[in-house]
Parts: sequence; structure tokens; C-alpha cells
Amino acid sequence: MNQPSNSIIDLRDVSFTYSIGTRPALSHINLAIAPGQICGVVGRAGAGKSTLCALCAGFIPNFYEGTFSGAATIDGQDVVQRAVAELVRHVGLVGSNAFSQISGARFTVSEEIGFGLENIGLPREEIIERIEWALGALHMSELRDRSPYALSGGQQQRLVLAATLAMRPPVLVLDEPTAQLDPPTIESLAELLRDLSRQGTTILFAEHRLEWAATLAERIVVLDTGELIADGPAAEVLTEPILLERQIGWPRPAILANAARDAGLWPGTRPLPIAVDGLVAGLRETGSASERLAPTPSTAAAPSVTPATSQAPIIEISNVRFSYPSGVEALKGISLTIGKGERIALLGRNGAGKSTLLRHLNGLLLPSAGQVLVAGTDTRKTTVARCARHVGIVFQDIRNQLFARTVRDELRFGPRNLGYSTAETEQKVDRALDALGLTDFANIHPYDLPPALRRLVAIAAVAALESTVLILDEPTAGLDNPSIERLNNLAANLAAQNRTMVVVSHDLDFCFEALDRVIVMKDGQVILDSNWDRLDHNARTIIADTVELPLALAADEALAAPEQSAIGQLLTHTAQTLTPLHAQPTTRA
Amino acid sequence: MQSSYSPGISLLHRLHPLTKLAAVALLLVLLYILPGEWGSLLLFAFVLILAFTAGVAGSLLRTVLRVILPLAFSLFLIQGILFPPADATPIPLGPITLTREGLLFAYITSARLLAMSAIVLLLLRTTHPADLVYALTQRGLPRSIGYILLVTLQIIPDMSARATAILEAQRSRGLETQRGFLRFRGLVPLISPLVVGALVDVEERAMALESRAYTAPGPKTSLRQLFDSPAQRVVRVLLLLSILALIAWRIAQYFM
Repeated sequence: MNQPSNSIIDLRDVSFTYSIGTRPALSHINLAIAPGQICGVVGRAGAGKSTLCALCAGFIPNFYEGTFSGAATIDGQDVVQRAVAELVRHVGLVGSNAFSQISGARFTVSEEIGFGLENIGLPREEIIERIEWALGALHMSELRDRSPYALSGGQQQRLVLAATLAMRPPVLVLDEPTAQLDPPTIESLAELLRDLSRQGTTILFAEHRLEWAATLAERIVVLDTGELIADGPAAEVLTEPILLERQIGWPRPAILANAARDAGLWPGTRPLPIAVDGLVAGLRETGSASERLAPTPSTAAAPSVTPATSQAPIIEISNVRFSYPSGVEALKGISLTIGKGERIALLGRNGAGKSTLLRHLNGLLLPSAGQVLVAGTDTRKTTVARCARHVGIVFQDIRNQLFARTVRDELRFGPRNLGYSTAETEQKVDRALDALGLTDFANIHPYDLPPALRRLVAIAAVAALESTVLILDEPTAGLDNPSIERLNNLAANLAAQNRTMVVVSHDLDFCFEALDRVIVMKDGQVILDSNWDRLDHNARTIIADTVELPLALAADEALAAPEQSAIGQLLTHTAQTLTPLHAQPTTRA
Repeated sequence: MQSSYSPGISLLHRLHPLTKLAAVALLLVLLYILPGEWGSLLLFAFVLILAFTAGVAGSLLRTVLRVILPLAFSLFLIQGILFPPADATPIPLGPITLTREGLLFAYITSARLLAMSAIVLLLLRTTHPADLVYALTQRGLPRSIGYILLVTLQIIPDMSARATAILEAQRSRGLETQRGFLRFRGLVPLISPLVVGALVDVEERAMALESRAYTAPGPKTSLRQLFDSPAQRVVRVLLLLSILALIAWRIAQYFM
């Protein structure tokens, strides 16, 4: 080893400016990571997280062109002098966009995992052994003979991970690994990474989901506009006031505990928790002194939202059944009324029928039996384009939507299709740009924006239709907290204008904080239709069993003893009024 | 195409891809050397028998006929009416007049296309494309070209899925596609996401290939194994010699 320190990743005063960039993507970064450590990188969209990942994986400066200064060694290899192809034995990179990381040269999942191993010329027997190991580690054995392109997004992401892990790199770099995954897979990914770390793999990951980062990372590095602004143990860094100042946010347990502290319900000397069990433990400690709960009734306010049923209907679904040509019956008798001004979360596992139901709401799919009325018109008797006046949908894969040269042009497309005049179109575009905080980017090419903002563009482009109902499929995937905050505000503003938002998402915390009504689907049927603040223990159990509970409700359930219900009310109320950016680092006792 | 391969364990499936490729070459040469009046149909019958032994006759026949029948029909019609020689024998048929020479030409061309597509399709039905490409790269086809061939085969089915998703996304933004035909302006939002997406993918795919050591120097391993035998090597040499002999004989005819 020609490396004096015992760090496996060693960056010294590293700065990098992309050749097309105007300011440094990274500036004067010093970072030393010991072997086997799990280090999380957090920061807003465009803070330099992906650049840091690319650098630590050896793609800078020899793949991405630009101006590099400083010194960087990975596993003893100088990244400036080594070609990427040589570095792959030392470090593996997994990005968030699984689709484009599949080689395309192999026809089955197991061969795809073996592709990299073939390229480094391992003996055939060892390749087969490692494929079996990787298939097992990522629970993909039953998919081994499927085509990589016939997999779902989450499965493709697991495949890319499997293929990278099979190379057994001493350093593993993951750039937003959870962006496409559902909650159970996200949890098992954390398990797997912890396992790897115990076996000596060094892990560096960039992530927007602070709660996930908090449960996984031993150490957190915070980036803001290319500068490293905090670095240290996860529990300390993730509750630093600077994270709130710079709009990065705190993990939700810290936010909730901070609110509890303001209400005098958090032990004075106890540090803020970053995980839900720490939150529960802290609240239990104070909860035992029941007299301290007394002065909180005003905080545990009554639900502020009007019940869903009182709204004028905009979409009426009655006894809808739908079968695909393959014979699979995806909807088995759905009846729902969606009212004006509602904020609705549509939850369920993959394959529960959510996407199929979504496509019935504007006539993309027509029911095999039953009927769907949009603004009083049967979807069979109109066109999708005419439905767009009443219902706009943003699908999850925004690559299928974006096509224009500028953000503004992208937003103009919808209103023009609906036949609005130029003046009306411009007004709608300006309002949508403003609502999603994109006014400054109006003349930029959507693909020149970081992925989080690109998703906001896709949402703004449908919001510009100003249809009565806005439907979003996984809108928070890959978003940073400021962007999620904008969606939250959008939901509130729509409701204030008596317009409706329907969200399909695995992000339960967003659904809980931004929306009121919750509809749970399972096997093509609606098994729960209620409001977040009217859920009893049984209803919460249904949600927990089908998807997962929002963090605040999970903590509340853990505290479930009756004398602690004041804490529970405080928790849930706080979670619905505060988002990760809203907590103020208040004076601490 | 990937979908044209149908897995099996017949003798034809198990033959080395290069053996099959050499046989295909010989059959294609024969197609042009045998008299068009009966040679094509003879070869077609031969291919069908082979396909039957490999258990792919039914699907092969369906695909070939689906492609060739409409083509043959238009050939008969166009060549029958428009075949150029002025002294062609006329065959009046109601309001139109066909010519004997035109119909003969249409018949020979269709029969050739029929046999040709059957020959090629039999190869694709019984040979996994990855095996075919691997066999060719072993014989000096550049790896990058092999890669491009395989990626193309894989991505075509995915493209059609994406095209559907794009149509859904843009219709949900008020793009009218149901009444009448698409205006040209309506095509841009349907095609651009596909193109822009592909361009954006290129960089990420290049990174992915680098990550998987595609450009790493040194020897490679192959998971796929091709089974060859001395007998097959002899057969291949004989096949190639026959091709050469046939071509030489054909050329020699012009000098006699």
C-alpha cells in the first residue's frame, strides 16, 4: 500500500468543476473514510452529492470532464492516474436510475449479474457461485431466468445492486439507492448494506430520505452548494441547526421530539432522536409522569379538515371491474366518490390495482363493467384529452412526459392542447411555475436540471392544465425536502381553491403530512377508506399490514398505552402541521 | 429478435451456431442456383421438414406466411399487370389484363422470398441470439459490434412499452389522439421523449458499462458455452467447400 493513512476513501482539498458548469460542483472537500464504515451524504438537490459519488467511484476526472484539483485515492488507487476500468476492482457504483444501468448485453437476470465478472475474466465456476450468492442476497432467485427488461423498476434496482455486489468491491458507492424502491425493499436494502459493512465493505451513499439515512449511516456528511458544511456521527449531524437553516431538514423523529420538547414533553437533557425507537423511548420517559401531560389539550387540537363525504363529487366510480386482455382481473368491483377539494392518498402494494384504477380516472382505461363519471360524463362517451380539463395525471416515469426545449415550453403544452388562448396559457404557466418554485428556471432545458427539479417540472406541466383533479403517481421519488415542501403547499393551495389532489405513493410520511383521506387497495379491492385523523387501532393495523404506517402513527402505536394518548395526539397533530423543514431550532432548556 | 428464438433441445438447437450459419449460407446459394420454377419450393419443403424435427414448424410457417402472403399478393398484381416486355403473352381477366411472363416472374420472386425467409427464420428460431453473437465474436467479430447487436435486440421490445407509456402521459395532458389522425404537431411530444430519453440513457449506460469492467484489459470469461465437435468442424468445412464449388461452377458456366 502506498497510502500513508488507513482510510480507504481519502479526499484532500478536492475541487471539481464540470466542463459545462459555471461554478464548482465540489469545492475544497476533505473526506477520509475508514474501511467498513457506512457514510451517508445528504444535501439539497444540486448540492453536489452525485458528483461526490461519481468522484468516489472513480468517474471523476477520467469519465466526466472538467477541472479537477486536489488529491483523491480510493482503496489505495489514485483516481486521477487510474482508468475507470482499472478502478472497478476497487469500487462499485450504483445509481438511482436502474433502467439505464442494465448492460443490455445479457438476456436473463442471472447472466446480467455475471456480465461484469465475465469481463474481469473470473473462472466460470466462481462466476456461477457468485451469481447464486447475489441472487440469494437480493431475494431474486425466482427471477433468475427473466429478461432484465421484463422486471419492475424496483426489481431492476435490485438487479443492478446484485450485479455490482457480485463484483465484491471493497468500496460500494450508492447514489440515491431508494428512489425507486417500495418500503419493504428499502428496509431489506438497509439490512443488506449493514451486513456488507460488517463483512468489511465500505459504503458511501447519497440520500434524500433522511430517516433512512439516519437508520443506516454511522457517519453523515452534509453538502451544500458543493461545500462540506458538516461531518460527524449521524445522531449529532442530523440534528444540527445548520441543516434547517440550509433547507435540508431533519429526520422526522427529531422534528417530532423537538415539538414535544417545546410542549414540555421531552426530557430536558435527552438529545433529539433520529430514529423512531429513540423517539418512543424519550416520550415514554416523560409519559410516565402523567401530570405533565395535563397542560396540552390546546396542542392536541381537533382535526382541521372537513370530512370527505361533504364535498361535491367530481369523479364517481361505481362497481368498476377491469380485466386485462391477459385475463388478469385487476379491479374487482370498486365504488368510490372523489369530491372537490379533497386531498387523497391511494395506498397499496405493487400489483394491488392502484395504477389500473388511476388510468380509469381519465379514461385511459375503460371499465369492463360498471362506470366512471368524470364531471358527470361517462368516460366511455368522451376522450382522454377532453377528460384532461377535469383530471390531469403525472405518471411516475417522467422521462415519458418531458419533451420541450425549455421548462416554459413544457408547461405550455397542456393548456394549449385544451384550447386556451395565448394570454390564458401564459397566465396558467406562470401560476404553475410559481406554485412549484420554478420561475427562475423557466428558460432552462428540463434535462439540465437536477432530477428532483426535473420531477417538479413534470408536475408543474400537468398542474398548468388547472384541472379540477391533479393525480400524482409517486411524486416524491428522488425529491429533496424543499421540493417535497412545495408539493405539500401545492396540495394545500389546491384544496383552498376547492380542487382535488390524489396521490399514489409509497412515501407514507408525505401522504400523512400533506393529505387527509386515505384509501387502501388490496387485490383489486378497496379495503379501507377513511381519514388519517379518524383511524382507530384496527384501521392502523390494516395500513401497517398492507404498506407501512407513517412514522408519527407508528410511534403513536408504540406508545399506545391509554394514559399517553395526549402524546399520541400531539405527535400526530405535529406531524400533520410540521414538515421536516418547519421545525425551528428553538431555545433549548 | 429475442422473441423469435424458441427454446428446445432438438439436434438443430444443439448444433454449433457456425455450423448452422454455414448451412444457411449454402441453402441461400442453392436458392439462386437451382431453377426458380421448382428449386425454391423444394428448398422450402426441405426447411419445413427440418423445422418439423426441431418442433418449430407450426410457428415458423405462421410467421413466414404472415410476412410473405401480402407481399406475394401485391407482387402478382403489380407484376402481372405491369411487366414491361411489349410482346408478353396477355391473359385477359375481366377488366384487367395480366401477362404470362409477369405472373411467372411474380411466382419465382415470391417463392424465393418464401424459401429465403424460412431458411433465415429457422436459424433464428433454433439459435439463441446471444450464442450466435458469441460464436461470431469468437471468430473475430469486434465485441463492440456484438454488443450493439445484442442491445438492439433487447431494447426493441422495451421501446414499444415506452411508446405506450408516452402516449398515456401526453394524452393525460390533453393531447387529442382519438379523433381523426394525429396532426404533425402532435407527433413531436410523442417522439421526442423517446429520443431525448435514449440520448440521456447513453451517458448512464456508458457509466454502467465502465462499472461492469466492460473496457477492462485482460482475458474474459464466457458464461455461455458452445458445444462444438470434430464432426461439426468437418461438416462446416464441407459446407464451405460446397459453397465455393457451386459458385465456381456457376461462374464457369458463363465461359462454356
